[in-house]
Amino acid sequence: MKTLAASPTISTAKILPGLSAIVLGLTIVLGLGFLQDANNYLHNAAHDGRHSAAFPCH
Amino acid sequence: MADFRKLVAVSLLTGLLGGLLLSVLQHYQTLPLILAAEQFETPSAEHVHDWQPMDGWQRNGFTLLFNGLTGFGFALLIGAAMYWRDQHGYLHGLGWGLAGYLVFFVAPSLGLPPELPGTDSAELHSRQAWWLFTAAATAMGLFGLVLTKQRGLQIGGACLLALPHLVGAPHPEVAHALAPEELQHHFVVLTSINNAFFWLALGALSGRLLSKVKF
Repeated sequence: MKTLAASPTISTAKILPGLSAIVLGLTIVLGLGFLQDANNYLHNAAHDGRHSAAFPCH
Repeated sequence: MADFRKLVAVSLLTGLLGGLLLSVLQHYQTLPLILAAEQFETPSAEHVHDWQPMDGWQRNGFTLLFNGLTGFGFALLIGAAMYWRDQHGYLHGLGWGLAGYLVFFVAPSLGLPPELPGTDSAELHSRQAWWLFTAAATAMGLFGLVLTKQRGLQIGGACLLALPHLVGAPHPEVAHALAPEELQHHFVVLTSINNAFFWLALGALSGRLLSKVKF
């Protein structure tokens, strides 16, 4: 674990690109895993994927 | 934001390849179980008119799309973590892949195991809330426990790891599943194995590709 903890600080120039990647990543994952629409289109399309990835479904 | 574009490119390639791997594994292992479980379901009147993908290429195509896109999203998280910590190479990547597997699959599954269609569960929103709470607490807990050196933060991290399971996942008052228990058990084992491969592949591939990128 020593190598993992080698660089505890993040240079300021790296904050925004990394944060943008995290926001985009979480938006994609949570949107696909959690959104429900009135007609169930999204749910039905994502159904097998959600069940197999252990997202709460139905 | 040139760095952001590089992270997106690496994550997209990683996610699509990881998603393809997961889809192949699922097609031969868990999809047959889902289809078998659906035989026990009788379509309720309100759902029978909803659009749903046709069995076959359409259904598999949507699953491939889902896996590729979630792979992209997860790879962005791995990529950002490695970018921030100036790490690259598949060994570091495997570490982050393992962390992602624990945060997004193992910890939520301990309380809410992957379910076959036709399983009665607690109300959806309460399960989604517990899932999110568990993933967030596990991510922060692992960070405190593994990546900090102060004793206080490490103890706090360990407490955060345990907290969602002490609170407990929402469960229905009377559990009921249409599919036989053996099928459900088989489904949990196979999804656990498939998702482990998926996450380790995402991590290793992210690390490998990031070592080719100059930030």
